[in-house]
Amino acid sequence: MSSPHPPGPPQESRRTFLDSLLGVGFVSTALSVLYPVWRFVIPPANAEPATDSIIAGKVSEFKPNTGAVLKFGTKPAILIRTTDGDFRAFTAVCTHLECTVQYKPETSQIWCACHNGLYDLAGNVVSGPPPRPLESFAVNLRGEPGQEDVVISRT
Amino acid sequence: MTEQVLSWLDERLDLSGLRAFIAEKSVPKHRHSVWYYMGGITLFLVGVQVATGILLLLYYRPSAAEAYESVQFIVSQVQFGWLIRNVHSWSANLLILMAFVHLFSTFFLRAYRKPRELTWLTGVLLLFIMMGFGFSGYLLPWNELAFFATKVGTGIAGAVPVVGDFMVRFLRGGDEVTGATLTRFYGIHVAILPAITTVLLGLHLLLIQRQGMSVPPSVEKREKAGEKIPQEPFFPNYVLHDVMWWYVALAALAALALFLPWELGKKADAFAPVPAGIRPEWYFLAMFQTLKLIPSHIFGLEGEMLGVMGFNVAAVLLLLVPFIDRRAADGAPSRILTAAGILAVIYMIVFTIYGYLAA
Amino acid sequence: MATSQLSRQLACSFVLAVLCAFAAPAAAQTAAVTECENCHRGQSDARLSTPARDFALTDVHRDRGFSCVNCHGGNASEPDKIKAKAPSTGFKGKPAGQMVIAVCAQCHSDGALMRKFAPKQRIDQAAEYATSVHGQQLAKGDTRVATCVNCHGAHGVRLVGDAQSPVYVLNVATTCSKCHSDTGHMKGYKLPDGSPLPTDQRAKFETSVHHAALAKNNDLSAPTCNDCHGNHGAAPPGVGAIANVCGTCHSVFATKFALSAHSQIFDRSCVECHSNHAIAKPSDAMLGTDKEALCATCHSEGDNGHKAAGAMRGGIEKLKAAIAHSETIVAAAANAGMEMGDQELAIREARNHLTLARTEMHAFNPKPVDEVLQAGLALTAKVDADGEGALAEVSYRRTGLAVSLGAILLVVVALRLKIRSL
Repeated sequence: MSSPHPPGPPQESRRTFLDSLLGVGFVSTALSVLYPVWRFVIPPANAEPATDSIIAGKVSEFKPNTGAVLKFGTKPAILIRTTDGDFRAFTAVCTHLECTVQYKPETSQIWCACHNGLYDLAGNVVSGPPPRPLESFAVNLRGEPGQEDVVISRT
Repeated sequence: MTEQVLSWLDERLDLSGLRAFIAEKSVPKHRHSVWYYMGGITLFLVGVQVATGILLLLYYRPSAAEAYESVQFIVSQVQFGWLIRNVHSWSANLLILMAFVHLFSTFFLRAYRKPRELTWLTGVLLLFIMMGFGFSGYLLPWNELAFFATKVGTGIAGAVPVVGDFMVRFLRGGDEVTGATLTRFYGIHVAILPAITTVLLGLHLLLIQRQGMSVPPSVEKREKAGEKIPQEPFFPNYVLHDVMWWYVALAALAALALFLPWELGKKADAFAPVPAGIRPEWYFLAMFQTLKLIPSHIFGLEGEMLGVMGFNVAAVLLLLVPFIDRRAADGAPSRILTAAGILAVIYMIVFTIYGYLAA
Repeated sequence: MATSQLSRQLACSFVLAVLCAFAAPAAAQTAAVTECENCHRGQSDARLSTPARDFALTDVHRDRGFSCVNCHGGNASEPDKIKAKAPSTGFKGKPAGQMVIAVCAQCHSDGALMRKFAPKQRIDQAAEYATSVHGQQLAKGDTRVATCVNCHGAHGVRLVGDAQSPVYVLNVATTCSKCHSDTGHMKGYKLPDGSPLPTDQRAKFETSVHHAALAKNNDLSAPTCNDCHGNHGAAPPGVGAIANVCGTCHSVFATKFALSAHSQIFDRSCVECHSNHAIAKPSDAMLGTDKEALCATCHSEGDNGHKAAGAMRGGIEKLKAAIAHSETIVAAAANAGMEMGDQELAIREARNHLTLARTEMHAFNPKPVDEVLQAGLALTAKVDADGEGALAEVSYRRTGLAVSLGAILLVVVALRLKIRSL
């Protein structure tokens, strides 16, 4: 482990320079490995991939007789809170020409602005061009009573 | 400070033997000693794979419904997920490349000769295991290319006579490539193969430590003639040299991730038609291309079966190299085997390139 | 023993009575086989035997207890040919012309009777028929026109909802074209302007979107002949009514069209651009100032219409191009591993705006069309910005990697020097 010749002053300073350079190099490369690893293991903002279920928000965010269009996977979904306070969720993709539907509180129906398609609160077509009813999703409440999360899932 | 820690441990574990061993250990230095580092690089890459693999495990989901989405999630939503995934994918390829380099360097330098036959055997088995890692891991992102490559690859196993159909069902977890295949490959990739690797690698490294580095026959001849071969102290020289090569491998990984980032591809759809130009990863390409060229029937026997059995025979011969070339231990390595080795290298390189161009 | 025998007899008669009780109403449901049928079925002349045979298979009337005599008169239980059709029996023979209508309307226009069998069914078909072209021609003595039995059948009548009925939604066009596509049959009939009545309506209809919706997409809400021409009151809509007729389904377009100058000018409103039977899937190419566009048929360079057409088409093409551009950026970013879900949704919204613009365009006013298109372009602009940002992030990451690559190479060099110095 000892070197063959004792180093002289210029070689010694060169030696320590090299050693400190190496030390800095090791530490910086170690950090550039450990820092990403550390960030990786900390859970990201969305805890898991949103394929089959999403959290739409808190119960209190949705007033009765209102509807909200949200992202569910790659397509929009519509969440409706009826006048009785129940939640319904459907795909917001109109079965006619795929426009995004919206909720009409005046008539408590789902309406497509593109060609006047109308659906009832069971997703069935009431009038207009849509050929098929809207696919429905399950809505569940999860969490502390009063502050539940509204969870929309495919099944 | 390190001295204090070491002496604390020494009082309890008696590290004196170990310390003496390390202090005295030296490695021969000669024209071909650069090849000694190839195994170390391969080991480093195995370490990278284990580390990045464990990290990916924290977020990956091995089901047909969620695998692709979980990889997409890792790459787009997890902090530095793109980096970990890229490193894992590239390190896998680099690992297999270095394993082949290590194989051929030990082959041509006759490191397999007595007393190192077991080192060779464990090493060749480890190479096969690494290729198994590559094959099983490739399917896990569940994208289109991987799905069809697995379909073709597992189908080839069916060409083996007698046990072929059983092997296909065993590999696929059923008759077709489905979510069952994915889960099975996942189990193979993260549990079964790592367990086998631990045992084989442990043996391989233990043998190397006990027997030290082999010298090529030409150097051995000079040694026997009385010449003193220069030695490099294991610690710190060889270790630092090894670490330097590890950093070179790390630089290669960073460069690959930088210039050739891995893509997500499209999610696998079992009912979609096979995309044009489907082929396996490069380390299977030479075999794949060879199988494509074999005529469908030779002397009444199925061509594919002959091809697959031919590869199996080659694998067995590779394992038995130390026993075929016993004269190498006497300083007279087989010329035929050298020629065969050179031909094998040329064949593999040519057919891999051919496979790429043909697709 | 005597008591057990008695109880067994009682049990048997009880069971028999119960069975008869069930059997009796069943017999009242389906009409029993008449003597008419017994004789007619065996006839060698097909004109006599076929109706009897058909009536024995599936028939709505027979299933509800009606038999030959309800329409034809006569005595159902009299096997003798002459006696069965004696004048006193009210035998009508084979009804023809106006008599067919009278025979059917005898029941079908009787509210009290129809309520017993199909309470919701209408009872004004005969009255409607009188207003139709068929009815008016029949009143003039033309017996070539269709009456009830030509469309519904006479023996073997099925419910409208029965898929094998000639008036089932998918079969209506075939039934109408039995006469209307027969050039021999339609000889002599003319349009109001004096030209002969065309017989290619069915052929044209089969090229249309509506036919495709019925035949391929199983969308039974798509229109067939009777949806536009009427059922029993069948007649061409009349030029003034076309927009209303199309507008029963295409309400938004009809509303917009009514706002436009074209609604005052076009003789045949919707049909001017979209045709009546061969209605093809509309494309953006129909709008504009190039030679494939329909606008150029009337509008020439310099007039307001020409300018409006050019502006609207140009705007739509611009949004289409913007969407395609956004999609490329988003695809590149997504493939590189960036999360682009919100942007994909925004592109979907932008496409909705294209659909809305194509609807707005029917008022033939560039301003509302432009508003919708601008909203769409705002969406694509935001997507582009987000996409570029994502690609910039990808670049930033690669720069970071390049820096760490530099650091690693530095360590390699330093190690080399260190080893040399040892």
